Amino acid sequence: MVVYSFYIFDRHTECIYAKTWLPPTSSSESHAPGGPTTTLRPASADDAKLIFGTVFSLRNMVRKLGGDDDAFVSYRTAHYKLHFYETASSLRLVMLTDTATLSMRNVLHQIYINLWVEYVVKNPLSPVEHKGGVGVRNELFELGLDQFIGGLM
Amino acid sequence: MASSKASRLGEEVWKTRMDKVNAELVVLTYGTIVAQLCKDFDSDYVEVNKQLDKMGYNIGLRLIEDYLAKSNTVRRCSNFRETAEMIAKVGFKIFLNITPTITNWTSDGKQFSLVFDENPFADFVELPDDGRAQDELWYSNILCGVLRGALEMVQMQVEAHFVSDVLRGNDTTEMRVSLIRYIDDELPPEDD
Repeated sequence: MVVYSFYIFDRHTECIYAKTWLPPTSSSESHAPGGPTTTLRPASADDAKLIFGTVFSLRNMVRKLGGDDDAFVSYRTAHYKLHFYETASSLRLVMLTDTATLSMRNVLHQIYINLWVEYVVKNPLSPVEHKGGVGVRNELFELGLDQFIGGLM
Repeated sequence: MASSKASRLGEEVWKTRMDKVNAELVVLTYGTIVAQLCKDFDSDYVEVNKQLDKMGYNIGLRLIEDYLAKSNTVRRCSNFRETAEMIAKVGFKIFLNITPTITNWTSDGKQFSLVFDENPFADFVELPDDGRAQDELWYSNILCGVLRGALEMVQMQVEAHFVSDVLRGNDTTEMRVSLIRYIDDELPPEDD
């Protein structure tokens, strides 16, 4: 399983956290440069906006067709799979992985419970609103996330 | 049926997932805050009520996330009655170990009262004997703010206030909660 990137969007639709894990270069020694790796192009600021637009529309469509209790979970392309998780407080977590990965809903839920709530919400120095991502990029959260994702791969 | 489910959930979360703290520490800490506010605002109790509400609001904005995480809530309540059940039997239960009674629904299902049989903030408390505090100070007003802040984060705008308090000599401690509206999802800004 490979995790490509991870995004958090707040209830104001702003991207307040983004992180990308580059495809493992050390293990791809056997590949000739430009070999058959499914490298996604490097993330840019526009990606977050595009991703939000996509998941937001999909979520609305899913609810329209499947009722308010239905939830948009993931979609898959030939190269990657996008996982989506939304909390009741309108925090949206998005993760891009390789296509073989099973549902990451539980993983995103754990990130919310064990990392977001513990290290960001309960940090008295972090503001309630994370304009421009203030307060999210703290050491404990980053470290916890890295360890958690590292443990999955 | 839904109501017993909420009770069970509240009970289980309280028992297994909550960190506990000495109740007297809470009483004394909260009492100190109120006493200090009364001092700071020269016994202007209307202002003290306002400040307590504001403090509660800021607590509520964060507390809701802990509530959602601890109670493992994944979906929204389907109506305001369910919300009331969850507030009383899960929210108050897990954070204060009390379960206020829900009564006095209006027929449109948008207003209800929470009656507090016990109030952990109010142990040992006597209101100042200056002839005004009995009529003006809502000692536990922070709770109104907490509800307002927490529900706002889950897209419900509510108004909450106390209508009676045993500390004032009333028979019950009652809070009135009214739903003003459901807040719509915020939309991403348009790209030009």
